[in-house]
Amino acid sequence: MAAVRFALARALLRLFSVQGSYNYERMMGVGVGVAEEPLLRDLADGRYRPAVARGAHFFNAHPYLVGLAVGAAARAEHDGAGPDQVERLRDALCGPLGSLGDRLVWAGWLPFLSGLTLVAIALGAGWVAVAAFLIVYNVGHVALRWWALQAGWAHGAQVGVALHHPVLQKAGTLLGPAMACAVGAALPLTATYLVAPFPAWARLSVVVTAALGYVALRWRAGRLTGLQLALALAAGALAAGWLWP
Amino acid sequence: MSLPVEIVVALLVWGTLVGVDLVSLPQMMIARPLVAGTVAGAILGDIETGLKLGVVFELLQYDILPVGSVRYPEYGPATVAAVTTAHASSGVLGLGLGALVGLVTGLIGGIAIHLLRRVNSRVVHAAAATLESGDPRALVRLHVGALLRDGIRAALVTAVGLGLAWIARPLLAGVVSQRDATLLAVAVVGSSLAAGAAGTLRLVGRGPNLAWFAAGLGGGIVVAAWLR
Repeated sequence: MAAVRFALARALLRLFSVQGSYNYERMMGVGVGVAEEPLLRDLADGRYRPAVARGAHFFNAHPYLVGLAVGAAARAEHDGAGPDQVERLRDALCGPLGSLGDRLVWAGWLPFLSGLTLVAIALGAGWVAVAAFLIVYNVGHVALRWWALQAGWAHGAQVGVALHHPVLQKAGTLLGPAMACAVGAALPLTATYLVAPFPAWARLSVVVTAALGYVALRWRAGRLTGLQLALALAAGALAAGWLWP
Repeated sequence: MSLPVEIVVALLVWGTLVGVDLVSLPQMMIARPLVAGTVAGAILGDIETGLKLGVVFELLQYDILPVGSVRYPEYGPATVAAVTTAHASSGVLGLGLGALVGLVTGLIGGIAIHLLRRVNSRVVHAAAATLESGDPRALVRLHVGALLRDGIRAALVTAVGLGLAWIARPLLAGVVSQRDATLLAVAVVGSSLAAGAAGTLRLVGRGPNLAWFAAGLGGGIVVAAWLR
């Protein structure tokens, strides 16, 4: 039992770098193989190396939830599942783990806390708000990674059960509205915070620029990015300053 | 206008850590502009400027949803470079030029990430037979090599950003007028708010969360008006 916990701990540490070798051929597959390897060491000689090779095949999912696939695939190897079964399990997990993680973390937990932090900064909380963001975010982050790995290992090929965990379902339901509300509140407050040192004409210009920029981004959605808009407007501002006598 | 060497080294190290955190290790969100900017400001002894530029780039970050192998700019080291530029002059003067340096650095960082992934693809492709043999040492070696490459990439992007800051900082001492700097700041702040709103509404969609967004927006407007 202690050996398993030690192997799980090693796998967890390696999971923090799961995207370290991200590439367009196997996506995060190599990182998944590296994370899974400690859990495969006590397989019989003839099964260890083929299992390590399978672990490094193509894989792509949300990095915080990939532990579910690592734990489940390793457990399936221990339970004597055939190579095809393990490959099918991995293939089946890519989509659900990606969409669940994107919804929970990238479109939920992260922008929710970021929005609250923006509100706190605009209200004068300063660096303390940033420190609180970092701590609270990572409590959730590390807990999610650890839970995912343990759940994957516990359920093996039946890992689909873990994806229906009530806490995940509840979090998915709550985080969407919470994120929308927090970022919605942050936008006018950060606008006020950022334009505080501006002269009156510049404040009005910011409102007009933001409105026109928003329309441009919605109208050219998928073709115009925020970075391109900002660079184009900055170039326009420099040109206007140069031409304006 | 020049910075002490130890400050430049600290900024370079911080920018590198921030760049590696974005994708490779450990994704604890020090790459988030709010964090990257605040710590860069603390290194420079100017947390307020760090917070301001952190907020600007955080709003721009909302435009990005890092799903699949989508290409996106890198705003962590960019924010470090932006704060380093803006630190030379407080208020509106530094904000616009600092953000411009950050935007260019963010663009370069995004290109560097894409190039790194292509290099990693070639390395993985070339090592396909070794990987299929299931040699764990070769697997770990390949992974660590890619991590090191990302570290070098992040350091180079930060160095380019700090180089741009070094070029831009003297401009704040008189070359750029207050009016020009204000125009630049208006463009950057306006576009960051537009990107923040557009990115958020893309996540929110047209379902029930839109009402929550409207409620938050209304509450924010009321509080902002009350604070005035």
